[in-house]
Amino acid sequence: MSPGRTALACALAWLVPGAGHLYLKRPLKAALFFCLVLIMLFLGLSLHGRAHVVDHDNPLLSSLATFANVATGPLDLLIRKSTYHRITYRLPPEGQSDYDELVARMRARVLEPTYEYGTTFILTAGLMNILLILDAFDIGIGRKH
Amino acid sequence: MLSHIFLLVLFSTLVSIFFGALTRNDLREGARVALILFLSLVGISLALAYIMAPFPLR
Repeated sequence: MSPGRTALACALAWLVPGAGHLYLKRPLKAALFFCLVLIMLFLGLSLHGRAHVVDHDNPLLSSLATFANVATGPLDLLIRKSTYHRITYRLPPEGQSDYDELVARMRARVLEPTYEYGTTFILTAGLMNILLILDAFDIGIGRKH
Repeated sequence: MLSHIFLLVLFSTLVSIFFGALTRNDLREGARVALILFLSLVGISLALAYIMAPFPLR
C-alpha cells in the first residue's frame, strides 16, 4: 500500500475508532473496535470520568493523560464539553478568571464515587485508539497481515 | 450494580476482547487470547487486593 493510503488509514483511525480498519477492508474488526471504544467512552462518561487538561503543577503526567484523551479523535471534544462545559486543553494559571470555574467543574467530578473508574475507562478508550492507529499503520506498510 | 468487582469484570471483559481481536486474525485464537487475558486481569487484581487487604489505608 502506498504511503499516502497508509497515512489516510491512520488519519481515519484517529477520526473514527475502527475507520482505519474499515478502509483497510477489515469490516468485522472495524465494527468490533468501533463498538468497544465507544462503549468504553460512554461508560467512562456515565461513571463521571473526566478529560484531562495540562496542569502546570504536574506537567509530564497531565500532558500524557491529555494526549491519551486527544487520541480518541473528535469524540474527545464531547468529553471535554461534558467535563468543563467548553473545549479546553490547559488549566490556566491560578488567579486567572477561568481557573476557579474549571477547578470547580473538575472537583464536582472528583467527588463522585465512580470518578476514578470513569476516568480510567475514558483514558483506556484513548489508549485503545492509539493502538488501533498503530495497527492500521502496520497493516498499511505490510508489517502485519 | 456499580460495585468494584462488577466494574473490574466489565473493564477486563472489554480490554480482553479488544486485545484478542487486535493481536489475532483467527476467531478461535483471538477468543483464547481474550480468555487468558480476562482471567489474568481478574485473577491478578483479586490476588493483589487479597495481599493488600491487611494493610490499613492510614
